[in-house]
Amino acid sequence: MDTLIQDLRYGIRTLLKNPGFAAVAAITLAVGIGANTAIFSVVNATLLRPLPYAEPDRLSVVTIDRLEQGRRFTVSKADFLILKEEMRSFEKLAAVTTDRLNLTGVEEPQRVAAMWVTADFFSILGVPPALGRGFAADEDRPGKPAVAVVSHGLWQRHLSADPGAIGRSITLNDQTYTVVGVMPKGFTFLRDFDVWPILQLTPPTKRPPFFYRILGRLKPGVGEPQLRAELAAMHGRVESAWPDPQKTGWAFEAEPLKEFITGGARPALLVLWAAVGCVLLIATANVANLLLSRAATREREIAVRAALGASRLRLVRQLLTESLVLAVVGGGLGLVLALWGIDLLSALEPGNLPRMSEVRIDQGVLVFSSLLSLASGVLFGLAPALQVSRARLNETLKEGGRAATEARGRRRLRGVLVIGQMALALMLLVAAGLMVKSFIRLQQVDPGFESRDLLTVQLSLSKARYPDPQQQAAFYRLLLERARSLPGVQAASMSDSIPPERLEILEVFEVEGQPVPAGQSRPMAEEVLIGTDYFRALGIPLLKGRPPGPQDNADAPPVAWINETMSHRYFPDGDAVGKHIHAGGFGPEDPWITIAGVAGDVKYNGLMAERAPTIYVPYEQQVFWEGEMHLAVRASTDPGSLVAAVRREVQALDPGLPLAAVKTGDQLLASAVGRPRFQTMLIGVFALSALLLAAVGIYGVISYSTAQRTHEIGLRMALGARSRDVLRLVLGQGMRLALAGTVLGLVGALFLTRLMKGVLFGVSATDPLTFALIALLLAAVAFLACYVPARRATRVDPMVALRCE
Amino acid sequence: MEPLIRLVDIEKSFAHGPGRTFVLRRISLDIQEGDFVSIMGPSGAGKSTLLHIMGMHDSAFAGEYHLMGEPVHDRPPKRRAELGKEYIGFVFQSYHLLDDMTVYENLEVPLTYRNIRRSERQGMVADVLDRFHIVGKKDLYPNQLSGGQQQLVAVARAVIARPKVILADEPTGNLHSSQGKEIMDLFKTLNDQGTTIVQVTHSDVNATYGRRIVKLSDGWIVDGDR
Repeated sequence: MDTLIQDLRYGIRTLLKNPGFAAVAAITLAVGIGANTAIFSVVNATLLRPLPYAEPDRLSVVTIDRLEQGRRFTVSKADFLILKEEMRSFEKLAAVTTDRLNLTGVEEPQRVAAMWVTADFFSILGVPPALGRGFAADEDRPGKPAVAVVSHGLWQRHLSADPGAIGRSITLNDQTYTVVGVMPKGFTFLRDFDVWPILQLTPPTKRPPFFYRILGRLKPGVGEPQLRAELAAMHGRVESAWPDPQKTGWAFEAEPLKEFITGGARPALLVLWAAVGCVLLIATANVANLLLSRAATREREIAVRAALGASRLRLVRQLLTESLVLAVVGGGLGLVLALWGIDLLSALEPGNLPRMSEVRIDQGVLVFSSLLSLASGVLFGLAPALQVSRARLNETLKEGGRAATEARGRRRLRGVLVIGQMALALMLLVAAGLMVKSFIRLQQVDPGFESRDLLTVQLSLSKARYPDPQQQAAFYRLLLERARSLPGVQAASMSDSIPPERLEILEVFEVEGQPVPAGQSRPMAEEVLIGTDYFRALGIPLLKGRPPGPQDNADAPPVAWINETMSHRYFPDGDAVGKHIHAGGFGPEDPWITIAGVAGDVKYNGLMAERAPTIYVPYEQQVFWEGEMHLAVRASTDPGSLVAAVRREVQALDPGLPLAAVKTGDQLLASAVGRPRFQTMLIGVFALSALLLAAVGIYGVISYSTAQRTHEIGLRMALGARSRDVLRLVLGQGMRLALAGTVLGLVGALFLTRLMKGVLFGVSATDPLTFALIALLLAAVAFLACYVPARRATRVDPMVALRCE
Repeated sequence: MEPLIRLVDIEKSFAHGPGRTFVLRRISLDIQEGDFVSIMGPSGAGKSTLLHIMGMHDSAFAGEYHLMGEPVHDRPPKRRAELGKEYIGFVFQSYHLLDDMTVYENLEVPLTYRNIRRSERQGMVADVLDRFHIVGKKDLYPNQLSGGQQQLVAVARAVIARPKVILADEPTGNLHSSQGKEIMDLFKTLNDQGTTIVQVTHSDVNATYGRRIVKLSDGWIVDGDR
């Protein structure tokens, strides 16, 4: 033990006596360890840390899997009531649906994020409120008093953080709710909400709409086979309770809550983690090369220690201890960098990564960072220690016997490290290049609407003040009149969905004369509820037919518009205008809807989504519609300048109605590419860091090697070598290493980039052009890094070099 | 009486094209306990090579090397290292002190490689510091000492583990005459106290401190063998 303490003391002293080397090595390590710690803290919070609920492994989300669509959908009220009544695998089930509500009765009306939940929600999660209580078992029955649980933030902002807030009232969408509980600070479910009002479900008269998710707590010991079997049985129960012989292509699916929350983020996070791991490997290779360079100055010391009786193991232990001291210093600095990095990540992250609010340096992250520091110390210290401890006593200790040339093994090791760095840097650069290309492709996607000079605003009329659709339609009619009369407004309309990623409804449809064969499921389309002049307001081209107008009201025959994709797919031979469809939850007695026009394709479900059939339906002709609507205003001037005027017009009609999600068309597009931009930026930063480290690595090796060969170069020049011969000699050495690293990196990239398929858009994971360009870039950087020492070598004075022998 | 060191037909050579270049040719030599032997000869005679073979720094040789009756040539590297640690102390011409360690620490280093407990090490170092009258210099670094003082510390380091034999390779080669005399007087004292000394030297004056001279030339012993 005391010899270990001696080694530690000596190691610290050695580093203090070589502050330049120690600083460079520590900072290099700090960058690698810090980046890894920061990314790991995100991975830990998102993927690894258990959810902050009681026994989170027993929590499950039930959705509908429409098998031909390949994705999950929400369920209906009817589905939930059957499952709640009859499923035995779950202790409890709750239905949830998200919304934005108008909070009034406060200083300034606000739109707040709400999650409607049935009574068992909080008991399923097992997180008791900090004040008050959750919901009682029967509070979700229709007719019971309206109650709500609020968040810590809302309690502070609008209830003055009053410990006596329980029993006070709040007004949501003009309805009064009694506050029965306040959740603890930091409580979150799916994302941050301000209020959880009680969801009281009236008995259904038909199966749609599909607005809800089901959260359940499994009974202990219930395994997946049992759950699957029961869900299959429930499918039969729902089909028999709400028969529809053609809807057979669906099934209930249950997914662990953690998977539901984080599954979509996994591919991108793992790619980021791998990228930052490469940066650390390159950094440790750099430090290993630094240690090898210092080895020459320590040959004598190591030989003397061996002559004094030190075994090889003892020497390796001493050298490794010094490396570990360096690693601990680098790790400590890295932790500081990580703290800063986490703040930066949180500030830049566009809000798509789940559980970001839980990202912090906790015990798990500290353990990871410590282990990473130690592992790095061993990784960069072991090979040099093994090399250096192979003391050549004879050559080193004899008088005049200082080793004139470096041990071949050490030269080879240095070369191997540089080749490894080049290979890793290339793999990372290829990944970044693919992400950049993918991002460029994404930005080139035609969203289908004109984003310039467009202003969008979200509104939500409360049922209490506007209980039926006709009153809501009347409000929007008045609002549109006022908006269209504002100076600078060319067109205005209302809709429930806003491109490129706010699609509200997916619906089944049927084309007249194209019945769906029995046993097959009906096709689905994106359904958008629109007002008059919608296409002109959004800048969507109307290819055929007429635009929606005031005549398309509740008393008129039902009409709809379809998009170009649906027109080509279902009416390939003729004009779709005048043809008929059914859309939504329809029965055989429902009238056919006449197609009045065909519009250009628009992205409503994200820029990366495939083009899908879209049906536009006038909202005035919908029997059932509620919730948020968007006002879209096409301006002849800067759309931002119209915000105040629009707000005035809205509040002139309803003073208590707040605006939300005020965005220009350009902001909508920027938001849609937020997550890919963030990921691309991160990978780009890591790749550039890797390139810089690799360039420094190869520069260091060639520089050192050239210094070692000063005598040889002087001799060659004395024998007639010219500057370009020397350049060729030195550059040749460096470029051979770079070439080997590039080839190795290309092979590695070919395998590894296949893992990136899930995050790329419009570009193949083995895109040859990207691979080729990156290889050339790396070769160019390596050339520059080697050129500097090569140029220096041409200035060697042969007489000085030869005299020094 | 069995000699402390017995060398029988020791040879060392390097492959050189189709042939071999010999550094040592059939060296046979006995060194008794308590001897003070000077190995002399011109540059390139193989003196230092012979000393490093005896000091276990070079194991690439042919012939027999017996130390305290044990056939070193037949022993595996680990056993050779143990024999070296137990019986041999080495003094280099260039002192080879560790620059980042104090005098105290330099003296302690060989003891840390011999599994000696800290308390015992402290006592041994203190004893040697006292014997060599360098207590006042224990916290100094080598670059704060003169050449003679550094060699003094090197000699102290060589004897601290109480070796049977001290091998010294040109111990006064980098010192001026008065410093060199101090070192040679020290060797004499150690020899009088029972330590066997084998030195390589160019100096006839230094050779007079010993009792026996062995002359090498072109790898052969030309005078003063067994």
